[in-house]
Amino acid sequence: MRKFFPVDDLARDERFNKVTMRDRMRDPRTALTSDTDSSGKRTSNFRLTPERRDASDGARGLMHGIFVGEIQALEGAGRTCWDFETGTEAPFALKLDMARQCWDEARHVEISVKLSDWMGSEIGQYAENTVLFEAACSTDPVLRLAGVNRALEGLAIDVFTTMKEFGNLAGDPYLEFCEDWMLADEVTHVKMGSDWLRKITENDPERRKKALEFQSVVDKLFSYGGTRSDSHESPIGLARRFRELAGFTDDEVEVIADVSMQALNERKEAVAKMLAAAEQFADSSANA
Amino acid sequence: MADPYKPRAPFAPWDRRTLPGLFDVEESARRVGNYKWAEIKLFEVLGGWVATVPELDVKMRLGTHCYKHAWHSELWHKRLPELREMNPERLTVPPNEAMVRFVEAMTEPEAPELTIEKLVGVYRVFIPRFIAAYTYHLNGTSEITDAPTIRSLKFILQDEFDDWRDGEMILQSLIETPEEAARASAHQQRLETIMIEAGGIAGIGTLGTP
Repeated sequence: MRKFFPVDDLARDERFNKVTMRDRMRDPRTALTSDTDSSGKRTSNFRLTPERRDASDGARGLMHGIFVGEIQALEGAGRTCWDFETGTEAPFALKLDMARQCWDEARHVEISVKLSDWMGSEIGQYAENTVLFEAACSTDPVLRLAGVNRALEGLAIDVFTTMKEFGNLAGDPYLEFCEDWMLADEVTHVKMGSDWLRKITENDPERRKKALEFQSVVDKLFSYGGTRSDSHESPIGLARRFRELAGFTDDEVEVIADVSMQALNERKEAVAKMLAAAEQFADSSANA
Repeated sequence: MADPYKPRAPFAPWDRRTLPGLFDVEESARRVGNYKWAEIKLFEVLGGWVATVPELDVKMRLGTHCYKHAWHSELWHKRLPELREMNPERLTVPPNEAMVRFVEAMTEPEAPELTIEKLVGVYRVFIPRFIAAYTYHLNGTSEITDAPTIRSLKFILQDEFDDWRDGEMILQSLIETPEEAARASAHQQRLETIMIEAGGIAGIGTLGTP
């Protein structure tokens, strides 16, 4: 078996459909649609809550996203066990941590399959984008830890916190219970990433800088479309407390908050431009 | 209540443990180093294969088993300094060149259509060899002087039996045609041939000399 496995070769059964991040965001079921309050007035709260008109489909879609994300996290941790020589390219203890993460992610796949079934959706009902695994393809194990454990597992903390709150508000203790357990594991994984990043790059500031830059790129990528931010206009919130538990400094959390907000604003601008263009088109069609 | 000052035998009548064992400290350390090397190779390939198998249940099992073998290697890593090897890496080696070839052949399959070959190598050849080597060590070592190794062996053997059963059941569910059965046995034969040359997880004499 070769070292460094290309994302296009990820093995899936026939139920799965792979798409790009851009295609996924174009899926109308994942769109940030304006909601209305009880008086029928449009609101700007897009947070995933049971009151949303599209709450059921939104929650199912998010759960399916968690499911495929867990598969890729499992695959990424597994590849880190294989791709680097023990001792010379990656410390033995780091690889033990990655193997432990494999077990945790395998359990998360099991949990999310059962939760998806509980929520009434099927494997393959939503598309899978493989950008998570792409972050696990770096040839430097430290960059993988920064991109996967700190950026993506950090996002998982935000997602699980939102899902846990959703389960609580929706009166679904089954969902809330499972999300809480997965959240505990994710905090552990992010802390692994934080600890290893600091340890390995202790005397190598250039490598640390590169790793943090890579993490920032991944954070930005996963803030695509403002899906996750402090704003209620984002479906997923930023779980500041759990991020602190996982080893993020206050400054680091602020940077992620800024990046996420910037992504949200960029998407809002893009949507505004599209609406303006559509109105212009409609006007010109009416005049013609 | 019995008189607490009345002399009692240091070993209770039901405690039949004896001092003699087959291995001295050096031989025990050598074997433990071979075990650690082999467990590392196993957890690495199980992790690597996760991305290459399309079957969802197999993916999850490989991820779970990957950790168990990593944990075994960690137990052996910690045992080595207790066996007077202060540089564990020195003994973390394959027993011979044939074992290196065996691992290379076992880890060779990558294509998504080769799940049977991947699982045959691990669950029909490698893990049965671990079970044999560990059982021999458990039955042969001094029950008193080498008690820490015995404790680890018991934990690890429980995992090996559980994982072997998981893997064998998955294989039985995957092998549906005579052609697939032939594929499985051909690959097993190829790997067994190299393993015979290697002599087992700890090399020639892994199971003593009959």
